[in-house]
Amino acid sequence: MITAMTTLRRAVPAFLFGRDWPLLVSLAFLTLLGVLAGLARLVLGLGPTTGLSDAYPWGLWIGFDFLLIALSGAGFTMAAVGHILHIHSLHEAVRPAILTGLMGYVSVLLLLVLDLGRPDRFYHFILFWNVHSPLFEISWCVLLYTTVLLIETSPYLCERLGWTRPVRWFFKLITPITVIGVTLSTLHQSTLGTLYLNMPHRLHPLWYTPLLPPLFYVSSILAGFAVGLLSYRAAVRVAGRREKPEVVAGLAKGMAIVGAFYLALRVGEVVVAGKWPLLRPDQAMARLWWAEVGLGVIVPLLLWLWPRWRRWPLTTWLAPLLVIFGVGANRFNATWFAQTPPQGGTYWPHPLEWFSTLGILAAAALAWYVGIRLLVIFDSKTAHVS
Amino acid sequence: MSAPFSCHRRRFLQWVGGALVWLGLERLATDRRVAAATRGPESDYAWAVLVDLTRCTGCNRCALACKTANRLPNPEQVPTGLDSGAYSFVAEYKVAGDSADAASVFVKRQCMHCLHPACASACTVGALRKTAEGPVVYDAAKCIGCRYCQYACPFGVPTYDWQNPLGLIHKCELCRERLAENEKPACVDACPTGALQFGRRRDLLRQARARIRSNPDRYVAHIYGEHEAGGTSVLYLSSVPFADLGFPALPDAAVPEVAEAVMKQTPTVAFTVATLATALHFVMKRRTAANHH
Ligand code: SF4
Ligand code: SF4
Ligand code: SF4
Repeated sequence: MITAMTTLRRAVPAFLFGRDWPLLVSLAFLTLLGVLAGLARLVLGLGPTTGLSDAYPWGLWIGFDFLLIALSGAGFTMAAVGHILHIHSLHEAVRPAILTGLMGYVSVLLLLVLDLGRPDRFYHFILFWNVHSPLFEISWCVLLYTTVLLIETSPYLCERLGWTRPVRWFFKLITPITVIGVTLSTLHQSTLGTLYLNMPHRLHPLWYTPLLPPLFYVSSILAGFAVGLLSYRAAVRVAGRREKPEVVAGLAKGMAIVGAFYLALRVGEVVVAGKWPLLRPDQAMARLWWAEVGLGVIVPLLLWLWPRWRRWPLTTWLAPLLVIFGVGANRFNATWFAQTPPQGGTYWPHPLEWFSTLGILAAAALAWYVGIRLLVIFDSKTAHVS
Repeated sequence: MSAPFSCHRRRFLQWVGGALVWLGLERLATDRRVAAATRGPESDYAWAVLVDLTRCTGCNRCALACKTANRLPNPEQVPTGLDSGAYSFVAEYKVAGDSADAASVFVKRQCMHCLHPACASACTVGALRKTAEGPVVYDAAKCIGCRYCQYACPFGVPTYDWQNPLGLIHKCELCRERLAENEKPACVDACPTGALQFGRRRDLLRQARARIRSNPDRYVAHIYGEHEAGGTSVLYLSSVPFADLGFPALPDAAVPEVAEAVMKQTPTVAFTVATLATALHFVMKRRTAANHH
């Protein structure tokens, strides 16, 4: 206990006065703005503080929710890489990714509080069940999976504090915990696609397909590798360590394999369903599709497949960033740009929607940074037991 | 483990088990009721409204009566769209028709009371529900304001109270309270021309067919709502094609059929993934262990 306190006390000034302080102060400032914007929304209601309407009842917040859930697929993807596939060479990247996943899901919960018309009733899905509803299943899975993430990250803290007993318990249970996390993730990542199956009248056919559940699932694994890669690269820098090239290469390889599979599904669906005439680039929706799939899937794949481009130092940053752009564009297209409301109308987010979203993202980034500095992310003395 | 603790635990488990069984049975019973109400012959006997657009003069008395009946604000002001303060309104369409009286066609809009409603299937907490009597009703006490129902409804019916910090969903409930007192819906009651008719769905469909048969020049040969989106409890007759009046061209399948079929697979998916992941863990663990030696 005493050692724990001294470690904590020693670590705090280290990051407060470290070289990253301009970044941290800006993040804190954005967080503050976000808190104010969020309070304004809670007091004034959705009407005066958002661009939402009966034509577009969901906007920036839901877009970011679905994007963040996909990106936080890093948590279950990397947990599976480490504890189900047992790829030891990639073990260093598991903890940063799971921490990112936790930050992502907590951000989603905060965004949902802002978005719900009745935030005071957020727990109603526990009391009132509708098993037909995709959103009902997603709510349950997000709740349970966030709990799993908290359990998965708890040894990072316990190890720092020197609490060996709970850590030993955790590692005895690591396989069932990982399996439960992967199962819950499979369910809600795919059900986010099912959600749109109830909107055939609103969603453009290039995005509407009965294949939405598997497409959402596979793209969350794709995003999971990309975010796992970036989390690792960022974490080694924050922790002041050397990056291992074989970890970066391994994750990039995972990204390429899943990316190729996703591309085949995405293009195959359009071709088999006979929708390829919709891809003629003289239509706005086709251009949206090409931007999403071209920039977000095809270009990063080419970057990786072409040996010359792969050796290019920028590629290991650019390829995962493009993949994140592609998966994000997919979620935003599905909720916003590729939707046509039956009663007509448009949506543009209110500045307060931007501020609150940025505030939550900044808070998550700040918490992640502090987590990487204070928790046991690398050099776990117990992790190798598993 | 000490005796009282295990006793408590058993009690707790029994309680949880009982609650789960009760929830399951409850669920099953409602499902049966809803299934019977929507897909069985019972829907024939459920309450419905027939809107004959050729008889509507656009007097708006229905829309105003609706506001009064639902105690909505500004009951004297004619509404121009659906929102949290108007559950019904009369839209005007200028149609260049060949018949002399076809200058304007008026279309009364409100919830269609679908037989297999997408709003109810989508609702996170089951606040929306199709009743065996016909209305699709809303339980304001359950609603969390997620607004998924607004996306699922193919007619753009549910509206949200955007100005209220604790806003809720608003929509026509086919005057459920009046029906419970053996009264017709307020809008039907207020209509002076007989453009709105209230009755059993089967009887209204029969009447609608008879009208088309005896006046083939007056009507297009289509009862909107008979089959659209799995059928609705509000049916329309018109002199001009429905596509010209803003009625969406919807397939006969109910909107939520695909999603419900997928949602049914949830336990299968969960079981399969959990089994595969566990199996993979053992295989990979043995393989990496073998590589180490
Ligand atoms: S019209 Fe819309 S709101 Fe009314 S029952 Fe059908 S799906 Fe629900
Ligand atoms: S807004 Fe209310 S009624 Fe509509 S889906 Fe959400 S919980 Fe159900
Ligand atoms: S049935 Fe009642 S609530 Fe619905 S439109 Fe008519 S008057 Fe309004």
